Amino acid sequence: MSGHDHLDQDGCFDYLERIVFLLDNELDESDCSEVRIHLEECGPCLEKYDLQRTVKQIVARSCSEAAPDGLLERVRIQIREVQFRISEG
Amino acid sequence: MLATRRPSIALDDNDAAVVWEAMTESLSEDLLATETAAERSARFERDALPFLDQLYGAAMRMTRNPADAEDLVQETFAKAFSAFHQFKPGTNLKAWLYRILTNTYINSYRKKQREPLQSMAEDVEDWQLARAESHSSAGLKSAEMEALEHLPDSEVKDALQRLPEEFRLAVYLADVEGFPYKEIAEIMNSPIGTVMSRLHRGRRQLRDMLSDHVRANDLLPSGATDGGRS
Repeated sequence: MSGHDHLDQDGCFDYLERIVFLLDNELDESDCSEVRIHLEECGPCLEKYDLQRTVKQIVARSCSEAAPDGLLERVRIQIREVQFRISEG
Repeated sequence: MLATRRPSIALDDNDAAVVWEAMTESLSEDLLATETAAERSARFERDALPFLDQLYGAAMRMTRNPADAEDLVQETFAKAFSAFHQFKPGTNLKAWLYRILTNTYINSYRKKQREPLQSMAEDVEDWQLARAESHSSAGLKSAEMEALEHLPDSEVKDALQRLPEEFRLAVYLADVEGFPYKEIAEIMNSPIGTVMSRLHRGRRQLRDMLSDHVRANDLLPSGATDGGRS
């Protein structure tokens, strides 16, 4: 309940955006450490970071698929057909 | 009405590589010039086919059903192979394949599925607004976080499937495939600001759905609910 709004007006706007960039690997090293230092000091931002990191992780782990049996072979066959069409002009 | 024609996204078998070519530097022209058809096809099998599972996963998230996903993947590889002589070895093959996949999906499958497009103008505005949102919608308890971490894959996928298509795709490309924003922009043929906005909105919707799901399903101790969204 408490502690969720103490820094809203100040520096956190900018950090919220950069937290996303940090998680997405879009920050250079010096910016990363700046954000990390802020995360050590700001509970609400750390919470945001944790939640976003968690959602990112569960999305990544949930979506891996194995192609169905036979698809690889069908793709191979199709490639041969395309190659044949190309070589026939 | 407005959304029915998007000429900039149109891509046929030959255009894919041409578009990409403009963005990359030429490396091995000599190698390409002397390569026989058999060698090229062996190189394609060696380099491109290992992406089969990944492309199928993406196709599943796009089409949302296995039969269409298989067709989409086959069509993608056929197009990629036709254009492969124009692909520059040493540049990003995975991104190139994803771009062909995305364009093929947009051109052949989305029409079939009739999903409404999001408004782009709204996208960017929302990204600005989102910064002001600040801390107001945070706050999962640690038990909720733990429940979230242990959500079954199927429930996470269900939530993802409910996102509007362009959000879903942006989130998929960033979070599952780990593409940088710049490459997502190229794959989706959209400005980078639009990509960031789609990511932001998609993730926020996803967080809300998953958090609500965790709370609503008694996956945590009582008294752990925490309002705060308006």
